[in-house]
Amino acid sequence: MDKKVLKGLLLMMVCVVLGISAIFVFLRQSEQFTGFLYGAIGVGLFMVMAKILSLIQKEGKQDD
Amino acid sequence: MIDISSVPNIPPAFIFIFGAVLIPLFGKGRVRNVYLILLAALGLISVALIGRQPLPGWEFSVLPGLKLTFLHVESGYLGRLSIIMGYIFAIAGGSAIIYSLSTVKENGHHICALLYMGSALGAVFAGDFFTLYIFWEMMAFSSLGLIWYEGSRRARDSGMRYILFHLFGGCALLGGILIHYMNTGLIAVGPVKPGLGYFLLLIGIGVNAAFIPLHTWLPDSYPKATIAGTIFLSIFTTKTGIYVLARTFSGVEAVAYLGGAMCLYGVIFAILQNDVRKLLSYHIVSQLGYMVAGVGMAAGVATEIAINGSIAHLFNNLLFKTTLFMCMGAVIYRTGKNNLTELGGLAKKMPVTMITCVIAALSISGVIGFNGYVSKGMIIHAAHEAALNGVRGMGILELALMLGSVGTLISFLKLTYFAFFSKNENIEAKEAPLPMLVPMCVTAFLCIVIGLYPKLLYGILPYKEAALHYHAYELGHTLGTVELVLMTVFLFFMIGFFAPHEKITNDVDYLYRKAGRGFIWLCESPLVSFAIAVEKIVLRIADFFVKFSKNPLRGTRMMMDMIGVALLKPFVFVFNLVIQPVYKHYERDLEEVKMRPVEEPMERMSIGTGVLLVLLFFALYLIAMLVHGWLA
Repeated sequence: MDKKVLKGLLLMMVCVVLGISAIFVFLRQSEQFTGFLYGAIGVGLFMVMAKILSLIQKEGKQDD
Repeated sequence: MIDISSVPNIPPAFIFIFGAVLIPLFGKGRVRNVYLILLAALGLISVALIGRQPLPGWEFSVLPGLKLTFLHVESGYLGRLSIIMGYIFAIAGGSAIIYSLSTVKENGHHICALLYMGSALGAVFAGDFFTLYIFWEMMAFSSLGLIWYEGSRRARDSGMRYILFHLFGGCALLGGILIHYMNTGLIAVGPVKPGLGYFLLLIGIGVNAAFIPLHTWLPDSYPKATIAGTIFLSIFTTKTGIYVLARTFSGVEAVAYLGGAMCLYGVIFAILQNDVRKLLSYHIVSQLGYMVAGVGMAAGVATEIAINGSIAHLFNNLLFKTTLFMCMGAVIYRTGKNNLTELGGLAKKMPVTMITCVIAALSISGVIGFNGYVSKGMIIHAAHEAALNGVRGMGILELALMLGSVGTLISFLKLTYFAFFSKNENIEAKEAPLPMLVPMCVTAFLCIVIGLYPKLLYGILPYKEAALHYHAYELGHTLGTVELVLMTVFLFFMIGFFAPHEKITNDVDYLYRKAGRGFIWLCESPLVSFAIAVEKIVLRIADFFVKFSKNPLRGTRMMMDMIGVALLKPFVFVFNLVIQPVYKHYERDLEEVKMRPVEEPMERMSIGTGVLLVLLFFALYLIAMLVHGWLA
């Protein structure tokens, strides 16, 4: 197999292991990380809401 | 030494209202400015006197059993609530007066502002619902002047919508008060029994407290008022609504959920705004949501912490929100621009304004070390306590309030970054004048002082003892807030999604405006057609009576033909073949009868026919008498 592909696979595996470890630590010690969680959920929620509300926005200055 | 007990209490409302009347005597120069500062100081002293020694009095009997009470302070926590509100209004209003000295030239504007401030203080110290209503309406009309003084057409239109909304709210409030009075005979400001009066009162208060969907007047009108006018507007109307809500509807669970909805709704719309004052106006709705939630949660174990949190947040909100409006007012005053897309690069040109704005933004976002962190924490803690005690839905409310904090931080990162730190080499500005900077610095300083030493705030809250037991800087809460802030700031700058755009965001008022236009169409088209049709019918009936009096037989025939035409006309198109000949007959006959001159000789009939008709009517008369038993 090509070296580049192998490197890529290795990198992906490391990322998966790190991700799973992070989730594991997060679940075990969730009480210490709720702030991060709320922050991420909040930003995500407001992005989605802004996207939805952009459907009823129209071009122009915000006067009337 | 002055014996304070010898100084009589004067309702602070009267100081500002009579003070407003005297303004024209002082011209437009420095003397007037000194007079205004003295008036602000006098107002604060009068509140302090009431706080130290509330004396009875200022009652006026208007009807037997009905008194208007202009100065009333209850005992216990309600009394403390009134005093706190008095202090808040006097301090924030005084700051707004000083701020307005450099931007407002017209005496009329100052008169409106003082009347507004006086009526808000009058509402706070009103002892009964009728007095409250009088000041409530005074607030609406005097604040209208602060919008109309801006002078533009958009300000005039928006002011009209503002007053229409408040008149609707005022009518609902008055209806609620009257029903409550008729049902209970009670007139003191206090809890109301469920029923129609309860519902109307909630609507009336809800207009001022910007309940969704009654909030649209706020983001519509505040950005269009004068620069100083917006500061005054942001202080009084909504906060009076929250105060009256706390006195009449505390502990109503539905109100708590409404508060959660307001918190999220306001912040979502704030994020989408480009106009800086509109962004801040939507944030008023959001921050009011915290206070409304606190008032609604005031039941069971969470009562004390919820009411304390609500009032603490009201106090803090006045400090940081006033600072933010002052900062943005200074930016608009110096640059002439109010959209974030046109601003930027002001950090070096207006450093003091930038620093005070950042302090206020951190405070409203609930960052550690600032006053918003303390009061928001109290309300979220109250929701947490209620959830732990099994009150349904309080967990969701707690989550909504937490997420509201994230949204607040996002929108203030957007405001401060794009107003002060983003690149804009074309902008020209210099630092705001001193009368603007002084109140900004004072209120920003208080935000830090209360944040670092919250006991100063606890000492004046309605439930002082419970407040002193609250630990704002508890490790878990502090750590959670640090994480939340870090994550939000990181994602805000990494994603770059929330940059301002020149777009118009429709709110619920889009529906109101559509409905309003529909109503005008209804009045102009179908109702006018109906009125014309009714007028025609009435004229025809009158015409019939005229002709009947001249020629009874001809009149009767004409009327029968007219009825025949009117009844058959709608069916002609459906049952053409059957009805058409009969309809035509009536129509032709009617035209023929109409064509005859009125003065034609009366048609004659034989004596026998006449006698028969008389006997027939007599027989009908006797039957009617018999049926009704009048002959017995």
